[in-house]
Parts: sequence; C-alpha cells; structure tokens
Amino acid sequence: MIKTGTLESSDCMIELRESNERKIEIESIVFEQFGDQIYDVLKTTLDEYHVKAVFLRCIDKGALDYTIKARLKAALELWGVDHG
Amino acid sequence: MKLLNSLDELFKEIDIHQNKAISFHHHLRNGDLVINQVLEKYHSHHVQEIALFPSAIFPSYQMIKRLLEQDQIAHITTNYISGGVADYLSNQGKENILTMQTHGGRARAIIEGKSKIDIAFIAAPSVNYKGDAIGYKGPSKCGSLGYAIADSEYAKIVVLLTDHLVDEEFDRVEIHGSNVDYVVSLDKIGDPSGIVSGTTNITTNPIGVKIAKQTARFLEDIDVIKDGFSFQSGAGGISLKVTAELENYMKIKQITASFFSGGITGYHVGLLERGLVDKLYDVQCFDLTAIDSLSRNKNHIPISASKYANPADIDQVIKDLDVVILGATEIDLDFNVNVTTDSHGIIMGGSGGHSDTASEAKVSVIVSPLFKGRLPIIKKHVTTITTLGKHIDVLVTERGIAINPLRKDLLEKCKQSLLKIKTIEELYQEAINYTGIPKDVTRSDVQIGVIEDRTYDKIDRLYRK
Amino acid sequence: MARSYLFIPGNTPSMLQHANVFDSDAVIIDLEDSVSLQKKHEARRLVFEYLTKYYDSSIEIYIRINDPSTPFFEADVALLDGLPINGYVLPKATKDTVLLLSRMTKKPLIAIIESAYSVVTLEDIAKIESIKGLLLGAEDYTTDMNIERTIDGEELIYVRSRLAIYAKAYNKEAIDTPFTMKDDEEGLKKDILRAKALGLHSKSVIHPNHVTLVNQLMSPSESLVLWATRVLKKKAMTSKGAFSLDGKMVDEPIIKKAQKIIDEVKKYS
Repeated sequence: MIKTGTLESSDCMIELRESNERKIEIESIVFEQFGDQIYDVLKTTLDEYHVKAVFLRCIDKGALDYTIKARLKAALELWGVDHG
Repeated sequence: MKLLNSLDELFKEIDIHQNKAISFHHHLRNGDLVINQVLEKYHSHHVQEIALFPSAIFPSYQMIKRLLEQDQIAHITTNYISGGVADYLSNQGKENILTMQTHGGRARAIIEGKSKIDIAFIAAPSVNYKGDAIGYKGPSKCGSLGYAIADSEYAKIVVLLTDHLVDEEFDRVEIHGSNVDYVVSLDKIGDPSGIVSGTTNITTNPIGVKIAKQTARFLEDIDVIKDGFSFQSGAGGISLKVTAELENYMKIKQITASFFSGGITGYHVGLLERGLVDKLYDVQCFDLTAIDSLSRNKNHIPISASKYANPADIDQVIKDLDVVILGATEIDLDFNVNVTTDSHGIIMGGSGGHSDTASEAKVSVIVSPLFKGRLPIIKKHVTTITTLGKHIDVLVTERGIAINPLRKDLLEKCKQSLLKIKTIEELYQEAINYTGIPKDVTRSDVQIGVIEDRTYDKIDRLYRK
Repeated sequence: MARSYLFIPGNTPSMLQHANVFDSDAVIIDLEDSVSLQKKHEARRLVFEYLTKYYDSSIEIYIRINDPSTPFFEADVALLDGLPINGYVLPKATKDTVLLLSRMTKKPLIAIIESAYSVVTLEDIAKIESIKGLLLGAEDYTTDMNIERTIDGEELIYVRSRLAIYAKAYNKEAIDTPFTMKDDEEGLKKDILRAKALGLHSKSVIHPNHVTLVNQLMSPSESLVLWATRVLKKKAMTSKGAFSLDGKMVDEPIIKKAQKIIDEVKKYS
C-alpha cells in the first residue's frame, strides 16, 4: 500500500492498493459541495497516468484541486507508475 | 416574594399545566444546571404544547431534545442554537416549530407583549432576602444578567433559582425583588467550567492577523477612529486582534473611545482600566476577568438586552455605535450574511446581536477568511439570511476589502487608500478560482421555522434538511 | 531586490495556498528543513502543482531545494526548472555546489551561508555570476561553530558584516537570517535594526506575522526620505555639481545615494 498526504486541514490523504479493477472511494468534509469535482480530479489523473486497475481511497480535509492532484500523482509515482 | 426549597414545592404552588410558556436565559452557557432541572419537571408531568423562550440554546441543554422527541414542545423562540437541539431541529424538527430572533428583538417582543411568557425561570448567581439578584457574584457567577431583564419585568410569574442566597444589599441590582414571585433555593445552578469560555485569545493565526490589520487600517482610512468613538467587537480571535491593533493606533494618536458594548472580555476590561475607553456596556461577560470587573469598575456597566439593542427602547446603546466588527459563515453578492446555518444547511448558531448591531452601527464590518478549508465565504446567495445586506457595509478578507455599493460615502473615502479595495464580485471570483464552485446543498421543502428580524419582519425561512 | 523573504513550508497546503497574502516582497517555498525525508517526493509534487496552477507574478517566488549531498537535489531541479520562478535558494552553499547548480539551471541563485567554511570562502561564492544574493543561516552557522545563538546576536556581528560587505562588493543582495521568536515583537525590531546597521537590507522571515515590521524597517525611514527629497529638489534647482544643504556639503556620491533612496521608496509604495 502507498500513502501520501496528511489529514491536516486543507490537505488530503491518498491510499493506493492493488486491485483487479479501478475503484475510487472518497471521504470528504465537503463531499456534498465538492464530491463530484474531487472524483473528476482523481479520475482524470488516473487516466493521465494510464492506470486502469487500482483501489484508490481519498480522505479529504478540504484540499483544493491542486493538492488532490499532487497527492495522487506523488502516490502513483511512488507506486512505480510513470507519467504518460 | 416567597422562598421555596425545591422545584417540587414550586409546582405545588403553581399549576405546571397552566403555565407552559416558559423562558430561560443563557448566561450560564454550557454550565447551566437550571434549564435541564426545570424541563425535567415538565417532562415528568407530561406537559404538552410547551412554548419555550430560551434566549439561546447550548449543547448541554439536553432536556430540550428529550421534550422534542416526546413531542411535548409546540414552539421554540430563541436567538441562537448550537449542539444536539440544532441538529435535531434541522433533521427532524416539525413544521413551523421555530422562531429565531435577535437579542434586541427578543427583548422587544417580550416588552411589547408579542412574546407572552407565563413563567420566567431565571438562574440567579446571587439573590438577597428582598429577592434582588445580581450575576457577578456567587459560586456560579456569570457577570451581566442582561438577557433576563425583560423576562423578569414582563413574565406573568418570575422565579429565581439560586445556589447563593445572601443577607446583604447589592450594588447595582440587575433583577429587582419587586418583580420576583418565588425564589427557589437549589444545591447548584451552574458549573463554572462551562460558564466561561476560558480565556479569550487574540488570534495569532497569520491569516487572522492579516485580516485584523487590514480592518484596523481601513477604519483609520475612513476616519472613524477619533476621540470619543464607540466600538463593538465580539470575542472572536480576529475581532479581538482588530481591537488590539486599534489600541496601538489610539495610543499613538492619543484617542480615547467613549464606549465599547456587547459581549465583554478581559481584554476590554484591560482597555477600560488603562483609560483607553470611558465605559463598557455589558450585556454578557465572556470570561472571569470580565465578571470580576463588574464588582470593582463603576464604568463597567451591566445593561439589559432591551437597553442594548431594542430598537423601541429610547435608551438603546447601540444607536450611538460607530463601528461593529462581526463574523460570517456566508455572505452573498448582496451582502446578506448567514450566521445561522452551516454550509450543509444545518442550524449551528443564530443572530444573537448580529442583525441588531449591523442595523444600528454607522459602519458594520464583516471579518472573515475568503475561504475556510475549501468553502468560499462568498456565495451567490446565502443559505439563510440572518442579517440583511443593506445593513452590512464592508467585508474584509485576507485578499481584499469589499464595500457595499450602497455606501457611496465609504467608497469615496477609500479612493486614495492603499488598501486592496475590490468589488464583492471580484472577491467572489478570486475565491472560486481557488475552491471551485460549490454545489448547492439539498434540503427538503418542509419549513421548520422563520428568521424574525428585530423589526418583526420575517426575513428568511428555515427548512428541514 | 526585496525587503522581506518569507519562508513557506512546501508540504503544507494550508500555508502554500496563502503564500501570496502575507505582503512579503518575496517568498521562499521550502523543500528542505520543513519537509521530512519521507515526504520529499510528495512535497516537490505539491509545490509543482501549486505553482503550475497559481503563479502570482506580483511577488518574487524562490524555491529552497535540497542540497547536492542529498538524493533529492537532482529530482528537485529536474521537476521544478520549467516553472517561471525567480530562482532557487541553495542551502549549505559552497563554491562547488553553487557551480554545480549553475550548470543545471539558468535561474538566479541565492546561496545560504551557514558554515564556517562558506563564510571563509564567501568571496568565491559572491563572485559567481548566477548568484543573486547571500542569505545568512545563523542556526546552522552557530551549530557549526559550536557557539550559542543569543537573542542579541553578538556572535553574528562578524558574519553579518562580512556577508554585507561581500554582497555589496559584488553587487549582490545581503539577506539576513530569520528571527525565530514568534511573539517577541520588540526582539524582532532590534534584530532587524542590528542587521540593517551592518548593511543587510533584506531579511528572511519564518513567521508571516513578522513581515509587516520587516518591510517597514527595511524601507528607508521617513526622515531619510525627506532628506533625499530635499537633496534632489535642490539639485534640480542648481547647475552646480556640488552644493550645501543644512550646512553640509552635497556632492555626486551623496546625490546618488539620495536618488537610490527615492527609487526604493517608489518601488515599495
């Protein structure tokens, strides 16, 4: 398992695990207002890295998009996935 | 006036089922041990259709929730709700159960007979043999009893509940024995650790500091900080930091203020004792220093909610207020402010004196970070209107200041200012450039209550989640 | 040229996204001491994504990268060099590491002088073309010297002076070490004035609440501005190369100094 980010305010924690399919789980303090937007960022970033099968969990404490994207990219890079 | 030793004795004297419009004050905040004891009696006597008039509802007032669950409450009229009762009302409150007032509006409604109260249950930290009461002494001292005064003068039956019955005359009596029908002696009316909110701290958070500094400079730029000015700030960390910044300015320019009003903290007492302000008009003490100051400082004056903020009271203090600093959960492009519901539409507060002071002060300033976590403070429309935009003059954030276009005079005065004056639309764009546009939260169509302004106008509705 | 350089921890989004609200003339986004070894990779990513999305050209932006002795140095430069930042801040700088970094980037560099060796070889560093400024790192320097860091900073008089003089000699900026006591405003004030008196006209800052005072005290004082204005006014009214003001002789170097002060004021108003 790979973990990046923190549970501090304005940050998020990303967890990656092996999986046969792509599964995205989101917990967020602003889920009602930004759940869809968070999902989009995660999905787009996975696509960008051509990752089809992974279990991704995002625990969000009000992170802005750039943070979510950065935490996921860092996790993917540590996971051994190369960009493009 | 009759002295009793328990609530059971009281309800032998008066018929609990005939007296179910009842009021409480919230000066003991989370340390209040009276409201639950009294409501326990209403619960065990199965009193139906209770009309409840607490000046505010705190998380520890759990008996209210019990009564709601048993459907014993017909209506609640209050100024502020937080904790379990707020969650219950937002999620399961029955239709039209709630009226949210302001501090001034509540006093006005009681005095003018719009709110008819059968029994005022008043937790009184010190009571003497005449039935006079004060709040600033005794084991459960809380300072000013401002929110209970109208109740003590206009309720059909007035009951003081005390754990400190003394044989002495009081200086500056707050509740007069001539208005009191019963004094009930209880073991304990309050838990001191819940009464005061601890020490109130000036913020050192860099964003809060930036906002406070911008606010102080703005007030200097529009030239309202001059000899004899009057000022109100809450006990919030940013508000207190604004006051601290102004203190420096006042010292340099040798300015003294005429009065500070509202909720009083130890910091305000310090300003009084250092000679920087002539009078403190105190409707509510926030910490022990403020409470104890009432015993020794003649110019620290406890006042009633009516004298504080009732628009029909000719002595209304805030009529002369130059500047008020207020917070916001949300503010919209028309400057309407919400401090009643959170971003999910759940009740988490209420006006208190927000609308009162914003309506009266010559300059009302909202201080807030432009976004908190990911939630922008500025919305196209606020979830709930607590204070109408026409009463709000300025929004100060860490990224700029927006002046209500209705205040052409202030815009004019800021033309030469070096501060970042922007339109509220510009600030809104800046905020959502960071956060994205939040999706509107969903709510049901079941209306649980109304927001009633001090004018008695219903300015917004509250809905079940 | 900036009066204040505010350090912002690179792996803390709540600070990073407010980097441009604290009124510092420059910020230094930090990937070194404020980021733990396990978090170096994600911090670098975070800073990259932040600056890609929210570049604010109204302030100067520098990044303090990890020094070449660490396994993070090359990756830092590789990812960040495409960003339009004003330059890098290089910790534990020596002539060799500065030259190494200069071969990898065209961006200007600020060298942190924080060892006895760097103090001794200061001239070699100052004269390197890509060097824009010298920043004193007093914590590491006093550790290296095995001396106590005091609130009055007596132990820093020599290094501060040396840094200011070499910076001046090679037309570089001399940037003072941060003041570390968060709530000691009086101490901060004295610390700024001490550095300024020795010729350091910029200061790095680690607490955002210190920025206002640094900006204020590192700007030319009111009386100095008034004096400079009067010098230039008198100069404009005379054709002489030298004249007297308040009974003192004013000649070309003094007129230049006055002009410099007015230029600075214009920049910061």
